[in-house]
Amino acid sequence: MTHSPPLDSLLWRRFTWRHWKNAPVSSGLLLGIVALGVGVFFAVRLANRSAVAEFQNFTDVLTTESDGLIVAPAGMLPESVLGELRRGLEDDAVRMISVLESTATRPRMSESETIGSRSTYTLLGVDLIALQNLAGERPQDRRWFGQSGASPSGDASPGIASAADPDLWTLFRDPRSAFISEAQARREGLKVGDELPLVIQERVVSVRVAGIIPADPSRPRAPAHLMVFDLPALQRLTDATGRLSRVEFLMEEGPGRAERWAAVRATLERLSSEGRETPRWRVSSPAERRSSADKMTRAFRLNLTILSLLALLVGLYLIFQALDGAVVRRRDEIAILRSLGMPPSALRRAWLLESAMLGLLGGLLGLGLGWIGAQGAVRLVSRTVNALYFSSAADAASLSLFEALLALGASVLTCLLAGWIPAKAAASIPPAQVLARSQGIRPEGLSMPRRLAVVLGLGAVGGLGCLLPPLRLEGGGRFSLAAYAVALVWVLGAGLLGGAVLERLARALAGLGRHGVAWRLALSHLRTPSSRHRLAVAGLVCAVAMTAGMAILVGSFDLTMRGWIQRTFQADLYVSSDGAQSASTENRISPTTWQAVAAHPAVARAQIVQAARLQLPIGETLLVGADLAFFREFARPAWIAAPTDDTVFDATRNVSLALVSEAFSERFRVRRGDQIELPTPGGLHSVTIAGIFSDYGNERGSLLVDRGHFSRWFGDELASSLILVLRPGFDVETVRSELRAAHPGLAVFTQSYLRTEALRIFRQTFSITYALELIGVVVAVAGLGFTLMSLLWERRDELATLRTLGMRRGELAAAAVCEGVVTAVAGVGVGLVASLALGWLLIHRVNRQTFGWTLETHWPWAQMGLLAVLILGAAILTGWGVGFRGARIPAEREE
Amino acid sequence: MDRESRRRWRLSWACVWGWVLAQLLSPLPAVAGPDEGSNGFANPTPGRVFSFPRDHGSHPEFALEWWYLTGHLLETNGARYGFQATFFRRAAPRTSTPESPTSDAFGDQQLYLAHMALLEASTGRFLHQERLNREGWDAGSSTNALDVRNGNWWLRQRSDSPGNSAETPILELNGGVRAEASFQLNLTPRKPLVIFGTNGVSRKAAEPSAASHYLTFTRLAATGRLTLEGRERPVQGEVWMDHEISSSQLGSGQVGWDWAGIQLADGREIMAYRMRRSDGSTDPFSTLTWVDRQGGGRAVSATAFEWKPEGEWKSPVSGAVYPARVRLTTRDPESGVDAVLVLEPIHPAQELNGALGGIAYWEGACRVRDASGREIGSAFLEMTGYAASMAGRL
Repeated sequence: MTHSPPLDSLLWRRFTWRHWKNAPVSSGLLLGIVALGVGVFFAVRLANRSAVAEFQNFTDVLTTESDGLIVAPAGMLPESVLGELRRGLEDDAVRMISVLESTATRPRMSESETIGSRSTYTLLGVDLIALQNLAGERPQDRRWFGQSGASPSGDASPGIASAADPDLWTLFRDPRSAFISEAQARREGLKVGDELPLVIQERVVSVRVAGIIPADPSRPRAPAHLMVFDLPALQRLTDATGRLSRVEFLMEEGPGRAERWAAVRATLERLSSEGRETPRWRVSSPAERRSSADKMTRAFRLNLTILSLLALLVGLYLIFQALDGAVVRRRDEIAILRSLGMPPSALRRAWLLESAMLGLLGGLLGLGLGWIGAQGAVRLVSRTVNALYFSSAADAASLSLFEALLALGASVLTCLLAGWIPAKAAASIPPAQVLARSQGIRPEGLSMPRRLAVVLGLGAVGGLGCLLPPLRLEGGGRFSLAAYAVALVWVLGAGLLGGAVLERLARALAGLGRHGVAWRLALSHLRTPSSRHRLAVAGLVCAVAMTAGMAILVGSFDLTMRGWIQRTFQADLYVSSDGAQSASTENRISPTTWQAVAAHPAVARAQIVQAARLQLPIGETLLVGADLAFFREFARPAWIAAPTDDTVFDATRNVSLALVSEAFSERFRVRRGDQIELPTPGGLHSVTIAGIFSDYGNERGSLLVDRGHFSRWFGDELASSLILVLRPGFDVETVRSELRAAHPGLAVFTQSYLRTEALRIFRQTFSITYALELIGVVVAVAGLGFTLMSLLWERRDELATLRTLGMRRGELAAAAVCEGVVTAVAGVGVGLVASLALGWLLIHRVNRQTFGWTLETHWPWAQMGLLAVLILGAAILTGWGVGFRGARIPAEREE
Repeated sequence: MDRESRRRWRLSWACVWGWVLAQLLSPLPAVAGPDEGSNGFANPTPGRVFSFPRDHGSHPEFALEWWYLTGHLLETNGARYGFQATFFRRAAPRTSTPESPTSDAFGDQQLYLAHMALLEASTGRFLHQERLNREGWDAGSSTNALDVRNGNWWLRQRSDSPGNSAETPILELNGGVRAEASFQLNLTPRKPLVIFGTNGVSRKAAEPSAASHYLTFTRLAATGRLTLEGRERPVQGEVWMDHEISSSQLGSGQVGWDWAGIQLADGREIMAYRMRRSDGSTDPFSTLTWVDRQGGGRAVSATAFEWKPEGEWKSPVSGAVYPARVRLTTRDPESGVDAVLVLEPIHPAQELNGALGGIAYWEGACRVRDASGREIGSAFLEMTGYAASMAGRL
């Protein structure tokens, strides 16, 4: 018989679909497992995407996307470059949009609030007059002015000018004039003319709402946290007079735009390095800028995606097992179909179609689940991005067709993969073979010695894989591809081992004296476990190993962080701008303020910390200026490579020396004694690495130099924080209150408070990991229930016979419980052992390679025990439920 | 966007920019004396002694100033173009106590507006663009010599050329429209500078402030290159340049003006403006001035010339209805007989729609014909106040 679609359709309706329809519970459960697996994957992908999409060029809201931009390699661009740029491009039809970006928050409402609880506003300074030149193309750009009130037309909507409005020049001459987004106006009930207190730098400033940022449906909507100022006004407010964050370039309309930009870019690059040892700015395109955000977080997001695949991997075992079971159950039917002339290829197709349909339906359900889950996950992801990388205030995930198709594809592919072997098995059943159900389930799979050999082989291959280095991504990110492959190989090996252990365990238990009938009945099935038993154990091993492995990683992290926090926070008071809420905060403390704080009579010693982002060839890092002797004394660094002598701690001799964090050393592949060139606004400075300390503050790495050199190189004295040691006899809380009262724009933390907060923030960044762990457990438990259910379905004739022989329903349920518990014990036991290996792999390979953080190993025994108890408890409950219900299945009924 | 929304958009832009421009270019309140307005800006003074090159530069003591170039260019193959390049400076209202120090790069005391336009005669294609910048890194003007810039558009005196003198400098102009067209021209005065008006003051109305110092190169030889559609072509031609310094332009009851700069083939020029009153009549302060071959000026008053609009052209953009032609009748001082000059636009669609400045006006290249229809020269014609009254705006 040739391939015929009507035959396939007939097979689908009369053969496959009938079985699905007749077993709604198990079909539903299977669909649910696929949906959960796909849902988690989809949710995490969407959340990742949204958290990173938040990183945008805010000027895109105000102008059409620029062709390119320049930024300083470190610190800010001096305003003086503008004139020079125009002279260099005086014949080129290119608009230059100078931009200053900063951050601010609302002042704190109560003294007890936690760090990061207030959202950060992005302050964008642009020349509002020059912005009007885009009016030819973008009508909404003309609606900036005249929003302040009575319009002659009586139209109060933003953008209608009032001829009586005297505010144009006020707007340009009052630095407090700000434009807010429509979303913020709505959310906070603000209107034009309202005053809005903000912490800008370390001062509380009352900003006046001069208008609403004009919106255009064709452009990105102004995010709620964006505020726009006239550029010189923002310069004054943020102590950045004469300085710019970047200059954007917008080619004027006309032919050959790309070629003209290429020529302008070449001129910019020439001007940047003309007569200089180090380029004064870096030229890039908005796409490159966006991709740098993408690169910055790629390793983090890849890790998260891998974790999100956990549920789908467990699901793969379960689908395999379900389809394999279906082959066994429908063997008679298949044999009849074969006798009626059905070719094996049609059967294989029917089976693969069933797998694909399962993937498709489960996938579609998963998209729905994932979409809901993503709304929660995005907050967790952006919290981490916020703490580690850049300001991300994403609070809702947006749908992406690409991600939806990817998730659906992953779902169908997983199901096809799982259905491949069952499909082959189904197609290989000969027509003549009519199997009596009484023949039972034949032993399947590899023999025990071969099975153990494969397990050992997989273990050894994994061991070798551990020696491989990480994949180095663009921008300095690293991804432990080999380590993840090792994890997969080990999980597969452990799964195989689980099956073998189940058989041995059942035999050993059977040999232990006399038992009740339920117990013997259960063990009789497990002594020669079916492939479904083995797959159920393998699925459980996979879930337990990965969940417990992650728990080990997080536990180790927690232990290391606690130690680091205890060591690092040794001083009495820690001072920063009250606006400092995340890794990307730009708020600084002006010299007058920090000098006043340092001069407080209670202060014995003050560490002034300055920091700036620094662009190195591989990527961006953090350059910190501080008193290194103070750092040694009060931050007590744990040395990965300690300085060989005290020179680096002596400000008079350490001009060419630096300390770097472990993450820096990993990312930029440098060791103690190596030299690095630092491109600073004050020129190129070469420093030698005197020591490497462990630091868990950021994964981009940091580089520490003496503050005297830092402020000379950067030409400013703005501090990012202050660390104070008090004289004996002064009460920390009293001094804290005094400083807060004198400087309401400063946040002053005591040592104990900061220790608690640091740990809380750290734990918060791991919340997404906890959520994924939890889902892993749920899938494992659901899988166990599903296994027991399908095994009882397979044995429905046997159950009927046993009932006829006088076994009570409770006894049958007890047998199911025993079967479930022994299966679970094998799965949990092997899973926990495998988790030790996975935990080691995650700590010493994945984490070290990705983040460059050395962690102390911590085995969270209690948590692992709890996981075991939880799964065993779930096995008892589901075993009982399934057994109790299964005892009533009529023998003749179809599934 | 439907038609109604578009109409509302246009209305709101017009409102906004009308208002912004009104802020920028608003007439100053009644002046306190002959030289100084009540808000601290100067008024033109009769008998002022000009000093060059300084007076080619900027005069920040006045509120309003422009350098206005219009010209006709020819390719070697005879292809004809008309262009306009205007640089405006407008001072912000002065405050007695500045609230904050001003930034050099982003000033808050002066605004610079510039208009560029190009007409391709063979196709009638008319390109134009406006630009607004605050004084600072991207716009400004020197107070020592002619050097005014706005983005990549600039006009300056060449310092290196032989024959360059303080009074008749050789100029360089860089202009264009977006990246669709650009022109780089060297401009050499063929005649000495003309100072229009009486005793150095060109009066527009009875009010003391409604006057300007009006300095003009009536004929500059232009050579350079024009790039259109990415193709560069050498051009040469003749250019007219006004430099007008004032603190206000219109008097009460005036709604706009028509202006013409005519370059006759016989080597003479005519500058004429007709101040229009709200009732449609010609204001007595309207003037026509003949410039002879040596550069000497002879002005005649409003009663001694006739400015007669002929036909109509309605702008599809602003909806304004402009005269299609202008018939100018005046006594030729050389021959002593009445001369008829018909200013005939090379193409009717030469309106600058005021997208940024909020004021739509017509400024275009014209052929000049005599009564018999013979082409006797070329001109630029400016017509303002047709889309909306200019009263209170300039």
